[in-house]
Formats: sequence, C-alpha cells, structure tokens
Amino acid sequence: MNPDFSKIKRKSAVVLLLSMVIFTLSGWAFIKSDMETGPYKFIYPANFGNRINVPDDNPSTKEGVYLGRMLFYEKSLSANNTISCANCHQQARAFTDGRSFSTGVDNVPTSRNSMSLTNLLWTRKFFWDGRAGSLEEQAAFPLTNPHEMGQSLDVSANKLAESSVYHQLFKIVYGDEAITGDRIVKAITQFERTLISCNSHYDQYLRNTYQPTPQELKGLALFMNAPQPQTGIRGANCAHCHGGVKNYMELFHNNGLDSIPKDAGIETLTGLSSDRGRFKAPTLRNIALTAPYMHDGRFKTLAEVVDHYSDHVEESASLSSFIRGVSNETGGRSLNLRPDEKKELIAFLNMLTDSTFITDPRFSDPHLLPVQKFKQSSK
Amino acid sequence: MKKYYWVVIAIVAGFLSNPVLTKAQDASKEASVKVSGEVATSLELKLADLQQFQQADVTRKDRDGKDHVYSGVVLADILQKAGATMGKDLRGENLTKYILVEASDGYQVIFALAELDKGFTDRTIILASRVDGKPLPDGDGPFRIIVQDEKKPARCIKQVTGIKVLFAK
Repeated sequence: MNPDFSKIKRKSAVVLLLSMVIFTLSGWAFIKSDMETGPYKFIYPANFGNRINVPDDNPSTKEGVYLGRMLFYEKSLSANNTISCANCHQQARAFTDGRSFSTGVDNVPTSRNSMSLTNLLWTRKFFWDGRAGSLEEQAAFPLTNPHEMGQSLDVSANKLAESSVYHQLFKIVYGDEAITGDRIVKAITQFERTLISCNSHYDQYLRNTYQPTPQELKGLALFMNAPQPQTGIRGANCAHCHGGVKNYMELFHNNGLDSIPKDAGIETLTGLSSDRGRFKAPTLRNIALTAPYMHDGRFKTLAEVVDHYSDHVEESASLSSFIRGVSNETGGRSLNLRPDEKKELIAFLNMLTDSTFITDPRFSDPHLLPVQKFKQSSK
Repeated sequence: MKKYYWVVIAIVAGFLSNPVLTKAQDASKEASVKVSGEVATSLELKLADLQQFQQADVTRKDRDGKDHVYSGVVLADILQKAGATMGKDLRGENLTKYILVEASDGYQVIFALAELDKGFTDRTIILASRVDGKPLPDGDGPFRIIVQDEKKPARCIKQVTGIKVLFAK
C-alpha cells in the first residue's frame, strides 16, 4: 500500500472522528445547556390544596417535563405529520382551539369540544364524560384516535427513533434510549401537569392584591349565591358546580341544554337513564378565552351561556336537581336574571382570565427555540 | 290498494314489536350502590336488596325548610353485613377508618366509621330510598344518605353510587 495514501486516509479518519466528537458534543451541550434535571417541583398557592394526582409510576422530573413539552408540540406524532397536541390545545386560547369540534388527520370532526388543559394536576376524571381515570389514559386517546392524530403509539415511537435528539432526550429522561409509546405518553402528561393557572385577577383578589370593580364584585356575589326569592337574595348559583379557588369541582351534571339530548353523555357509559345528557361541569379558569362553550360548542359567547342558565333551561328527568326549579322568582323554572345582572356575571367571569398562564414561555413551543440556538452555535 | 294498506300495517307492527329496535327505550340499567374497600365481602345493593335489612326512618329538613320523613337502612347495618369493623371491632387502628361516599355526579363526602356506630353515637345515618312514603324524586334518588340532626345538608349526598371503606393514610 502507498504510505502517502495511508497517511491521508489516517488524517481524514482523524478529521472525521474529531468532527463526529464535536457534533455529538454540540448536540449534548445544546440539550444539557437547555435543560436542568432532577425532580420537578410543582409551585402553586396553598389554597389550591395538595389533593394532587400524580401516579406512582410517572413522577415528574424536569427532564421529563422538557421531553413532554417537545412531544406536545411534535407534529410527527400524527399520521400525516401536520398535527400535534397543540393544534387543538393552543396556549393563547388556554389550550383550546376556538372550534365547536376539532378536525384531525382525516378531516372528520371530533364528537365533542376540545377541553382546556388547565390545573390537570388536581383532575381525577378526564374527558367530558369523565371516562378516563388518569391523565396518561386520556393522553393516549387523541394520539391514536383516527379522527384526531390517528397514529398508533408504536408507529409514533418508530418515527421518533429516526431523530438523534429524541434518542438523547429519552436516555436522559428514562436512563436508556428506548423510545416506546408508554414513555411518549408519560412524558406528555408530565408536561401537561405543569400547566398550572393561578394568577388571574380572581387569584389576585383572593391574595388581596387586586381590587375588583363594583361590577365585578356584584358578579362575584351572583356567582357564589344560590337564589332565595323569599328573602330577596339574588343569585346565579354557579359556585355550586364551578366553585372553589380553582373554579373546578369535578362534578357531572345535565345542565338542561336539551330535553332529548343528541349526545347522551355519561348514559352511553353507564346505561343509566339518570345519566342522560350528563357531562362534566368544566373548569371556568380562562373561560373568556375558551369559546365556543358546552360539550358541543353550541354557544359562541359567554352572553349566550348566561342566557341559557337564565332563561332557557330545558326540563327532563335527568336534569340536575341543582338547576331544576332554582330561580330568582318564586315558581320560576330557570334563574331569571336581569340584563344588568348578566353583565355583572360576565364581568366576574372575565376575572378568571390568567394572562400569565397564556403567555408563560415554559408552556410555549420549544421547537422554535432549539432551531434558533442551533443556528447561532453553528455560525 | 287495501292490500298494500295491510302490508304497511304489518311492516310497522313488525318494527314496533321487534325487541332489537325497541331495546333502546327499556335498556336502562337499574341503579345500585357498591360497598367495597376494607370489607370482608363487597356488596352491590339494588332497591330490592334494601328490603332485606331492618327499615329505619329519619326526619329532617330539606332545602324547602320543611320536615320530611326519610326511610331506608341504617348505614352501620349495611357496613356490618359487608364485614367492616363495626361494633366490638371498632377500636385501635380501626378508628382511623372512614367511608368515602360517592354520587353519580362525582360528589364525594366522608364519614369516620365511629360517626356511624351505635356504640359511639345515637345519631342515625341512613341510606334512604323513600321520602314521605314515596320513592326519592329524580335527581335525588334512588339512594340518598340522610344524616339526622346535622345542620348543613351537604353530607346528605344524593344519587349515591358507592361506599368505600378506607384507612386514613
């Protein structure tokens, strides 16, 4: 063999090896520099309480939350590589999508309205009908449902395996490079549990750092009070199902939308006629941002929602006993609020908007950041 | 023409009598209360099963501010039947046990076992199925816990579906 040639070969091998080392190190450095590791500490006000819901087999870590955030915004988890979780759960809309029904990879509308992802750390029953007992069970559904992201978890795992970044991330999070459907779901839910909203004007009011307007205070009183026509106390009774500091009580009721509902709700699961048309009373956190409203997105504005409870409750055998006959007028069938009271109530509902939550950079699309960083470091 | 008329009637009658097509109307299941957790035998009680227990009445006010007579079964008797640690067994660490009662709307309340035991209290807490001699109304029944003499009605939980006996951790 020509000695010169072997020298050149050795030289190029060294260059190749060095460039590989630099490339690997730069990738490692980028991930490392961006990511802290260790247990993730949830930070929330004491009045939110500690009845949190984190499964023993999926404790939250900082690296897991980061991976989950990458996956939440990862379009390759859908069958046609165009849809991520964030399509139907947009941060600016408190993680909803502004549509009555969402469309997925096959353009067939979903059967129910996309739900806000807020304070899931305290949620124990997921979906409009509460059918999933864990966030992990919930998250697997839209990923694989043919009308949503429409891709099996195994295929998703194989697609992610083509990316070296994900190999490294999975290794940092789980100790080895194996990418599995179970690990994908677990990481996504770790991220989702960090979506804590606790800085609305209402939170600030409870902390004595915000003074509500007179209209907001009147709305607050209506929200909290049950109507008592005998004593003249006016109320909208909202807090019965949407009360508490998180504006969420995990209750499921038929709220009188229809006397014969198109969607039977929980009855479909239990076969009990008393569950007909019964759905989750969802959180009212950021409610001004999450139109349209109800499980089928039938109401476009908060004014329409308030009109419903005030004037248009439909009777049926499964109508909630907390709505039936609850009225500001003796013998009334619905709340019968005055126009000024409706405006007050809506003023209070606007106090539940948490602008910190919808602009928090920790919840934004991380794919936009690494690309920028990577470009800078390669200059 | 008349012949067709009878054919149409026959087809319509056929549809109406077809059990598969009319199933949707009577497919509704019967509600029940599941008793589970720290018990010897789990139970699933339907309305008829309550008749096998001694019946008890509790009078208390409802939201209308008027007294009503609620009829049903003393909760302690149901827990005894399931083999929970009531009576002479309700001592030591068993005093850290409670029941978690859940309703079909997801509402939950708890009672310490000692709140339910005759050895500790004369206050009667029943699983009621009737009010003033009639079945509980839609939205309240078929099963509701009625707590004698408790000022607030918040633990008189409606539409009960489950009673779990648990240790406080």
